[in-house]
Amino acid sequence: MKIGMISFAHSHAFSYADALTQLDGVEIAGIADENEERGKKVSSQFNTEYFQDYEDLLDQPIDAVIISSENSRHYEHVVAAAKKGKHILCEKPLAHTIEDAKKIIDVCKEQNVILQTAFPVRFNTPVVKAKQIIESGQLGNIVAVKGTNRGTNPGGWFVDPAKSGGGAVIDHTVHVVDIIRWYTGAEVKEVYAEVGNLISDYDIDDCGLLTMEFDNNMFATLDCSWSRNENYPTWGDVTLEIVGTSGTLTVDAFEQKVNVYNKDGARWNFWGDDMDKALVEDFITSVREGKTPSITGEDGLKALSVAIAAYESSKKQEPVKVN
Amino acid sequence: MLNTLVIGAGTMGSTHAAAYVKMEDVTLVGIVDTNLAKARDLAEKLGTKAFQTYEEAVGNLMSIDVVSVCVPTPVHKEYVMKAADENRHVICEKPLARSLSDARDMIHYCQDKGVKLFVGHVVRFFPEYVRAKQVVDEGKIGNPAVIRTTRGGGFPIASNDWYSDFNSSGGLVLDMIIHDFDFLRWCFGEVERVYAKSSRTRVFEKLEYALVTLRFESGAIAHVEGTWAHQGFSTRFEIAGKEGIIEYDSAKVAPVVASKKESVSSGGVAVPESPMKNNPYFTELQHFINCINTDTKPIVSAEDAYKAMEISLAALESIETGKAVVLQGTMEKEAVQ
Repeated sequence: MKIGMISFAHSHAFSYADALTQLDGVEIAGIADENEERGKKVSSQFNTEYFQDYEDLLDQPIDAVIISSENSRHYEHVVAAAKKGKHILCEKPLAHTIEDAKKIIDVCKEQNVILQTAFPVRFNTPVVKAKQIIESGQLGNIVAVKGTNRGTNPGGWFVDPAKSGGGAVIDHTVHVVDIIRWYTGAEVKEVYAEVGNLISDYDIDDCGLLTMEFDNNMFATLDCSWSRNENYPTWGDVTLEIVGTSGTLTVDAFEQKVNVYNKDGARWNFWGDDMDKALVEDFITSVREGKTPSITGEDGLKALSVAIAAYESSKKQEPVKVN
Repeated sequence: MLNTLVIGAGTMGSTHAAAYVKMEDVTLVGIVDTNLAKARDLAEKLGTKAFQTYEEAVGNLMSIDVVSVCVPTPVHKEYVMKAADENRHVICEKPLARSLSDARDMIHYCQDKGVKLFVGHVVRFFPEYVRAKQVVDEGKIGNPAVIRTTRGGGFPIASNDWYSDFNSSGGLVLDMIIHDFDFLRWCFGEVERVYAKSSRTRVFEKLEYALVTLRFESGAIAHVEGTWAHQGFSTRFEIAGKEGIIEYDSAKVAPVVASKKESVSSGGVAVPESPMKNNPYFTELQHFINCINTDTKPIVSAEDAYKAMEISLAALESIETGKAVVLQGTMEKEAVQ
């Protein structure tokens, strides 16, 4: 199977490319990146052809593409790929606006191509194990979830709202919202958020605390702040505290680590299973078997809607309904 | 030498009494509990006298200088006023009262009677919290941005199961995480806005779980988790600032762990401990006693206790209305401007 990659603007592209090189019967057929220096570098790193223009890549005999461009470019790249009949794995958030996300979903339906939102956390082994524990019923009914998805301010286009659609809130709300939806099947009804720009000198939100009310009488909070600094021993986290009527469950997706102390200070070195590889593998399987993707465009839209509502709530200082 | 009387022989009463017995400048003259057997057990252990009522204690004891009020929240007011009536200083457990109007009455009453009123916001005396504030104050993590606290464990067991009665205790939000509200206010200043959710009224099981967001006037944001839904008590905090992060998790601090093999086939029990020469309750009570002896201001005032209640009650209001609650103090100030 031949896979093309459009843009390495989002650094997740590196681990997706790594994953592609490890899968049997899969080949990276080319990398398109309008940033020529970056594109040529990664093309030689992954031993594939470089395309300045993504249309040229899409004209190659490829089955699917992985899109890791800036959030605001997702729509343009998805439309181009879908129109040439290529299946799509699109980096999260699905888009920088609700309108774009909806159009992305529509065009993929019209062109009858698979659209999968890249939510790799669904493939994190401890996160998967926790889902099994919830489904076993041992926690009783889920009452509340406390989540964190903190990170380090990535800088670059992430702090340019025209390209990203926002800062920490749009970047780090979607993963955990997706996991809670996936765990419980419940939908977010209402969002309240306190958002701030308190950490970096960039003029963009880097602190966010969301509170969500779900349609099954459950509530949740999420800390999506870019609050990890360069001296913190790791990039960030994904944690979940799940409170049920007959038990609780604590999940730390990246706790499988060894601690390393050297001239760079103290660092956490993760040794758990590779979730990005599992995500890419799952996408390839869906393409091969022509089945509905495990994570749909609608999943991407639902998670994005919560982030957009959070921004609105923080402006109004009141909870906001989510459609 | 100050003579202290402890009202209530439950968990907090026992803690106060044990602390007084250790103090050199204090004599524990008695323990009062409507459950006389309970008072007697504790009094015997600590070598003091037991009484069934406050009046009985007053009638039988030569002098009482300080009264520790360690009874369920709704009864605080009654005992604080009784003690103040006879010019005794009062150390009252938190929360000061169930309602702000009661709290205000109690503060005014003690002021009018010229007695000192202290409230047991003991977290200000826990060394890990004190140290965190010190690190923040020294500027080591820059301007505070996102703060997270956690407190809780199992559902508390007490006389007449009074914690289960929301009208009496105010539940987890008024009784328990008020500690964190007070600590946060101490470190980061006044709170502007509160938004909260709780499991109360959602579930019938005996548990409570609450998640509260505070927005400070400084702009800092705090997330406060309170739980009576977990196993085993623990506290946690994390302060993320512009230039650094402070983390603490009591569950991970176990400098002494004793393990005992129970049988060959089954596992054993591990009892972790984090021993200190003085426990924070002793430090707190000794501080209040010193404030009486030297007529100085305490680290935590009755007004601070009132302010912490304001945050708790705003959280309860938010839970009930589903809306963000702007604190009264903030609005008044804006009106003045």
